[in-house]
Amino acid sequence: MSSAASTLTPPAQPGFSGLRRLARPLLRVAEASLIWLLALAAWFAAARYLPLGRNPLVPSPEVTLRALIEALPELWQGTLSSFSILLPGFALASVLGIASGLAVGSSPRLQRMCFPFARVAAPVPPTVFIPYAIAILPTFKLSAIFVVFIGAFWPIFQNAAAGAHTLEARWRDNARILGLRGWEYQRRVVFPAALPHIFSGMAVGLGFSFILLTVAELFGANAGLGRFVQYYADFADYPKMVAGILYTGLVTYLAMTVLERVKHRALFWVR
Amino acid sequence: MSQGLILEGVHFAYGNTPILDNIQLNLPPGQFVSLLGASGSGKSTLLRLIAGLQPAGRGRLFWAGRPIKGPGLDRGVVFQDYALFPWMSVVDNLALAIGKARPDTRAAERSEAARQALRRVGLEDALDKYPFELSGGMRQRAAIARALAVGSPLLLLDEPFGALDPVNRARLQDVLLEVWEAATPKTTVVFVTHDVDEALYLGQRVVILGSTPGRVIADLNVPFSGHRDRRALFASSDFQQLREQIAETLAEDTLRQLTPA
Repeated sequence: MSSAASTLTPPAQPGFSGLRRLARPLLRVAEASLIWLLALAAWFAAARYLPLGRNPLVPSPEVTLRALIEALPELWQGTLSSFSILLPGFALASVLGIASGLAVGSSPRLQRMCFPFARVAAPVPPTVFIPYAIAILPTFKLSAIFVVFIGAFWPIFQNAAAGAHTLEARWRDNARILGLRGWEYQRRVVFPAALPHIFSGMAVGLGFSFILLTVAELFGANAGLGRFVQYYADFADYPKMVAGILYTGLVTYLAMTVLERVKHRALFWVR
Repeated sequence: MSQGLILEGVHFAYGNTPILDNIQLNLPPGQFVSLLGASGSGKSTLLRLIAGLQPAGRGRLFWAGRPIKGPGLDRGVVFQDYALFPWMSVVDNLALAIGKARPDTRAAERSEAARQALRRVGLEDALDKYPFELSGGMRQRAAIARALAVGSPLLLLDEPFGALDPVNRARLQDVLLEVWEAATPKTTVVFVTHDVDEALYLGQRVVILGSTPGRVIADLNVPFSGHRDRRALFASSDFQQLREQIAETLAEDTLRQLTPA
């Protein structure tokens, strides 16, 4: 009996396993912060030891932090301006992308009609539309919204269509047995069943939205996050420029996190 | 024409593979029939044809004097494990079905009818839960409750208890029999299974399908249906004799396939 037990439990030193249990969360924190700390250390070192003259391309973390705090009101204005482009573009892309994607994905005829076009139109890099959109639409804001919309639309459309197309036969059977058809079928069955796909598409679409937003702002904006970075780069004010980059990264991360939270709540039924 | 379920010379094939061959069946209304067969006998396919989920290759199907052309709420279906949409609570699942069966009802009435049906199968504690929060047995109870709530006069069950452990399986068999016996007029039931005991315990009649392609190889009346005592029944010589007979019929059919024609 005792010999069997000793073969099952590893030979542990007394007290060691307790220490280990305590150390595990600390180790996790250390693992998660390792690259952050290395990056920060590299930044400190670069700012301090690289010989860059009077207007350093690599401002030190302290200088950047001061610039960030100083620029916060301006960055907040920029955020509002950027979001007044991003949100309408992304929202429109979501609504139209989901609606048309579900409709096309659940109808073989619509698929035959739309896919030959979508296969060619979707891969066109949306950035190439920017100059034309600016030329053709009356305001910069409208053209930027349009470009964000184009960038976010295709991934959302394609994922929604895939979600509707791959709807499991059992849900289709179940819906047919209940006599669910048309709008009710789309709303009660196809839409919820396709939600995991739709959220994947929206995450990709949101990422594209930020890229296109900041690129579009380089072309003709007089406010906004991308514009902020470009503006201070033009004046060689690198502390503010770096602060703008970090701030934009944070805003993007927060927006992605919000979408992730919404997804988590909406898909509670997916195990 | 009788008002029950009538199948006349029903054939079905996937491509060149025959699945069902010349099925003739006449079920009077209110009868509880077990459709017994090995896997590959096409019993689930036959159920899908009756449900209207697939059209028959040849032959005709009638329910209540009308030809079956597609799915309809006059025929309820319970599958093995997916009668409920996972994104709706149990009550909402039932309320949706009730709303389709009785479009003139208000939302509150639907939800009340759903709750009532769930109470009848012993699910009063799970009303507002989601399917993923329920055990397999509870999910199948809810599926039966949905069929009850819709009130379809023909109930089609495709191995509904196939994924359950023996204890839950026996319990749900009794739940099914109870609600079937309580209803007037009686619901016509087609219960697909590959379990001989289950077929005999539940059915008033057992229709046996042979394999490849599926066709009716036996059609027996169950003399002891309506019993309540499972243990006494399974021990009785009548039961064991019939059980032997069915097992032999199935074994013969299997042998016939193994011997080259």
